[in-house]
Amino acid sequence: MEQKRDDIVFSRRRFLKMAGTTCASLLITESLLSFPSSTSAAEEKFKKEVAEGENINDTLKRLFGSRKIEIANVDLKAPIIAENGAVIPITVISDLPMDKDNYVKKIYILVEGNLKPHIATIDLASVNGKAEFAMRIKMRKSSNVRAIVETNGGKLYGDIKPVKVTIGGCGGL
Amino acid sequence: MQEGIGEVKIRIPRTISKGEIIRVQALIKHPMETGLREDKETKEKIPAHYIHDVSIYYGDTMITHCDWTIAISTDPLITFYLKADRSAPLKIIWKDNKGGVYQETVQINPQ
Repeated sequence: MEQKRDDIVFSRRRFLKMAGTTCASLLITESLLSFPSSTSAAEEKFKKEVAEGENINDTLKRLFGSRKIEIANVDLKAPIIAENGAVIPITVISDLPMDKDNYVKKIYILVEGNLKPHIATIDLASVNGKAEFAMRIKMRKSSNVRAIVETNGGKLYGDIKPVKVTIGGCGGL
Repeated sequence: MQEGIGEVKIRIPRTISKGEIIRVQALIKHPMETGLREDKETKEKIPAHYIHDVSIYYGDTMITHCDWTIAISTDPLITFYLKADRSAPLKIIWKDNKGGVYQETVQINPQ
């Protein structure tokens, strides 16, 4: 019985000690982080660039005006979690026909979290035979990726997928 | 500067039957520098150096064209499809913002 009590006392003592150390280390890290660092100039510039960067809604408005984008006929394949934001494989597949008169004319790739969301446009022709295109992209942070497909008739179809990025891909901050 | 910049690999199926829709993969060695990164030692910005234009020709007709920005990964790999209905060369041309032009041609010979 006596032995057991000792155990409890010991564990409580140890717990308090551990808690104390953790708190102290947390405080230290925080204070270190709040110190002005040498990268503040770069940070300032980066913030300016962010300010100059485009919002996803502005991008959509600039590209498509008030045209309606239907969420159908397009499948965007992207990883749910990307370990490296510098290399994210994506595939855009559309089941829309690829005939002479009816084909997918353009594929737009937009990444909401990037400074410039509109990252790529791909022009296709009916000779492709299949509306599918794959490439690898960079993402700065976790965000939605959109693929918008435009047919030669001017109709817009799209798909949207969230991608979680654990390390950003544009370098720097 | 990365070694072997502009080195190209294009992969097509070994045998192609006429009218078949084939998958083509093309890889090019390129740093795709964003211009946002800085050198860890000198703290200087690394100037942007990226491919902004990819044109793919089947015979004389352009079948696919890409408009790219800095947000494409290093050593860009593209996968696209092609309806192989005739014997013709498949030519891919990459252009970067520093004026570099890289191109590669493979012959498509449907049986």
